[in-house]
Amino acid sequence: MSATTWKEKLAGSVREDWAREIDVFETQIDLRKKGKIEERLFAETRLRRGTYGQRYDNGQRNDGEKTQTLPFPSGELTKGPVTMWDAPGMQRIKIPFGKLTAAQLDMLSELAEEYSDQILHITTRQDIQLHFIHIEDTPDIMRRLASVGITTREACGNTVRNVTACPYAGVCNTESFDVIPYANAITFFLLGHPDTQDFGRKFKIAFSGCKDEPCGLTNFHDAGAIARTRIVNGQVQRGFEYYVGGGLGAVPYPATLFDEFLPEEELLPITQSVCRVFSRLGERENRARARLKFVVKKLGIEEFKRLVLEDRATLRPDERWSSFLNDLHVTDEKPLKPPMPIGPGPYPAGFEAWRATNVRPQSQLGYVTAKVTFPLGDFTAKQGRALADLARRYTGDAMRATVEQNLLFRWLPEADLPAFYAELASFGLGADGADTITDIVSCPGTDTCKLGISSSRGLATELRKQLSVISETLAPAAKDLLIKCSGCSNSCGQHHVADMGFLGVSRNVNGRRVPHFQLVVGGQYRSNAASYGLAIGAVPSKRVPEIVKRLTDRYIGEKLDGETFQSFIGRIGKKEVRKLVDEMNVIPPYEQDPSFYSDWGDPREYTIGDLGVGECAGEVVPIVQVELAGSEREVFEAQVLLDEANYPGAAERAYSSMVQAAYALAREKNDQLSRDPEEVLREFRKYYYDTKLFFDPFSGGKFAHYYFAAHEDRKAAGASKEGAHQLIEEAQLFVEAAHQCYTRIGSALP
Amino acid sequence: MLSERLQLKLFVEPAPHFEIEALIPAFHGWIREKRLAELVIDVVDYSHVTNGPGVVLVGHASDFYFGDLDGAYGLMYSRKRGGPGADARLEDALRRLVNGARLLEQDPSLKLKFRTNEATLRLTDRLHAPNDDATFASTKTEAEALFGRIYSGASVQTEHLIEPQGPLGVRIKTSTAPTLDALLEKLGGPPQD
Repeated sequence: MSATTWKEKLAGSVREDWAREIDVFETQIDLRKKGKIEERLFAETRLRRGTYGQRYDNGQRNDGEKTQTLPFPSGELTKGPVTMWDAPGMQRIKIPFGKLTAAQLDMLSELAEEYSDQILHITTRQDIQLHFIHIEDTPDIMRRLASVGITTREACGNTVRNVTACPYAGVCNTESFDVIPYANAITFFLLGHPDTQDFGRKFKIAFSGCKDEPCGLTNFHDAGAIARTRIVNGQVQRGFEYYVGGGLGAVPYPATLFDEFLPEEELLPITQSVCRVFSRLGERENRARARLKFVVKKLGIEEFKRLVLEDRATLRPDERWSSFLNDLHVTDEKPLKPPMPIGPGPYPAGFEAWRATNVRPQSQLGYVTAKVTFPLGDFTAKQGRALADLARRYTGDAMRATVEQNLLFRWLPEADLPAFYAELASFGLGADGADTITDIVSCPGTDTCKLGISSSRGLATELRKQLSVISETLAPAAKDLLIKCSGCSNSCGQHHVADMGFLGVSRNVNGRRVPHFQLVVGGQYRSNAASYGLAIGAVPSKRVPEIVKRLTDRYIGEKLDGETFQSFIGRIGKKEVRKLVDEMNVIPPYEQDPSFYSDWGDPREYTIGDLGVGECAGEVVPIVQVELAGSEREVFEAQVLLDEANYPGAAERAYSSMVQAAYALAREKNDQLSRDPEEVLREFRKYYYDTKLFFDPFSGGKFAHYYFAAHEDRKAAGASKEGAHQLIEEAQLFVEAAHQCYTRIGSALP
Repeated sequence: MLSERLQLKLFVEPAPHFEIEALIPAFHGWIREKRLAELVIDVVDYSHVTNGPGVVLVGHASDFYFGDLDGAYGLMYSRKRGGPGADARLEDALRRLVNGARLLEQDPSLKLKFRTNEATLRLTDRLHAPNDDATFASTKTEAEALFGRIYSGASVQTEHLIEPQGPLGVRIKTSTAPTLDALLEKLGGPPQD
């Protein structure tokens, strides 16, 4: 008799412990449906299995004219606070270091086809996401994934997230050694480990084989390990340059060096102790301050290190710390074919351009890697199957999802390149331009993310479309520029480490909401994302392509020999860039050009409803706007002071911008308000924080905490460059939150 | 039909200046104006994906895709969950598909013309409808009976679309090409849920 459920069909082909976990999760789903599990507990439970909510899962959606209620069949049943049971959700699937086999890609494609919308989406952390999934389908999805060796456990929630690594590891010309055996060991050592189950926030780990390339992006991870070797008594010893406390998010922190050389046998126990200290000392109440970076900053690296080493000394020995070192070849890939140099041609049309950007020689002679570029990280189930088939015939199981949202094939004999390319092109995946200006990274943004403010994917699509048309005529230095887009300040699109980064914000213009993007420049992707850019100012979404073009033209026209975009921006100064931003900030009245009042790829009017333009709004709103614009200006001035190495001045100006933004709002409630910082803070707290008026549905009051902390620390904050940089980031976010608060208030007016 | 999950597609006549992005406001309009009886939630633009789903109107129980997943543009109705019993699933899908296609044809901004003499059917449920000869045989029988009845006795040909690892796929061709209005009338009019 044939099986009637996936559980029956896959019995015996799923690891016993994984099968049990999934059964438990399925039971929890049943219990929640019966109301026997509290919704918050269930939410954390499903998040730990990678099962997320999506936009509109509160059962409300604005159709461009009004907010409609979505009448889901399960009524008021929820799968978390304000998260309707039947609302489509997202399943994040951890792919450790992005390594995929052909069988896994086939399975992922089946799942996208049967439960999702035909699309597989690669994330900026080497995961794969399926969207528009129903919660009740997730146990079967998990079983089918488990049958090919994939677990979604701890893909989200306050856990150790997907461990990422350089996709070239093992075949790279600049690596010290292959980091994959170590990444693999730490992945499964920490998965479900008792010491990683009680964090206040997530914990991300990244590995890189070298220091100078961007591939590992260790600088913005909670723990980052860069491969190192040294000679001891004539023997080569392996270890890691080990960093802690990095992170992007709303306020990015560069990682701090923990140990210049952490011996390989100490990698797992020290990371375990880092986790234990994080678990013990990490913030629990205020999510905005709960990442490891805040613990490291608060304690200082020396004290943090002391605590970690003290903890390390108390750990009960675990054979897993070093057992994996007995076979560092366990993760090696076996090439399917012998190496062979490429023939003289002729080659298929488009091949040379593709080869120039998408192909790299491996450290193993005669083999190359080939990158398949996916626009916005998306590809279809059918393409997924075709890629799995290519892997089986050309390379074996040697694919890696990359943080640039592409897929890397490894161990491809050079001689096979033309045929491989021709096949890729036949199913629509022969695009060149990997790691160039057209290879734009984007988070999901307003397409599916609950936190999205502007359409990062819509913008990325438009930029890609426009840039692809002119890419052949672009100067090489322009082609090499990297663009990354995030739909909000949370940095999932990694906008801080692009040449040009964009993060979604909104502005009120003449009583209507207009989608904007903050332009972020000065970031550096190389050297594991060595430095972060700062926002220069907000540009209307519909003018972003124009500012990209003008900045690119200016760079090409004025750059010095060998000058990078980052150096160019540093040389001309942010004031010059700001001038461009200001020129772009002319928005025609709605009646003249309504297109500015919609976002890219979404014809709905970008508004949360009919904004009031009554007497009250007509008189008071412009004053608020003037004050808020003033606070924005002050943030920018703080950046200029930072560039001039006036760190105390930059910090003071950043703080001052927060006071002005708080004043702008507080004056609405108290028109006798003075500009005395103590009084402004008191009144802001009274009218906006204590009442939660300043809180937004997702971030709560976290941005107000930046202001309060800055007020407390204002005499000490600007002592260092890093301190001033961070304060500017926080000021930017507070001012942005003040804008949003004002918009919410405006929308509530009669 | 044992598979609860199925996808049925009708193709459009090639149009020289057609831009798929035009479907985005059209589908948003369907949500805003409640043009469908079923619960539809949002519109997703996948026009950047070659041979992709195109523009998707995401619903609770079913989706509508307008894209060129099969290499040619058309409207695909995709039942994800729920719906009528096994005997009525295919007919229900055809009715919803024809209703959707008719709405698109009636939209003057799109200038679309569907050809009704060819459809593709995919059963996206590998557990209950594995892609094998037995499933094809039963699907063929059911599809030929349904299309023969709705197409008023036209001859119906079916072909097993072979795609290794893919779901069961069937191409259905009919000897006549009735209008969408005629088909919808035969199917009982727009679904009322």
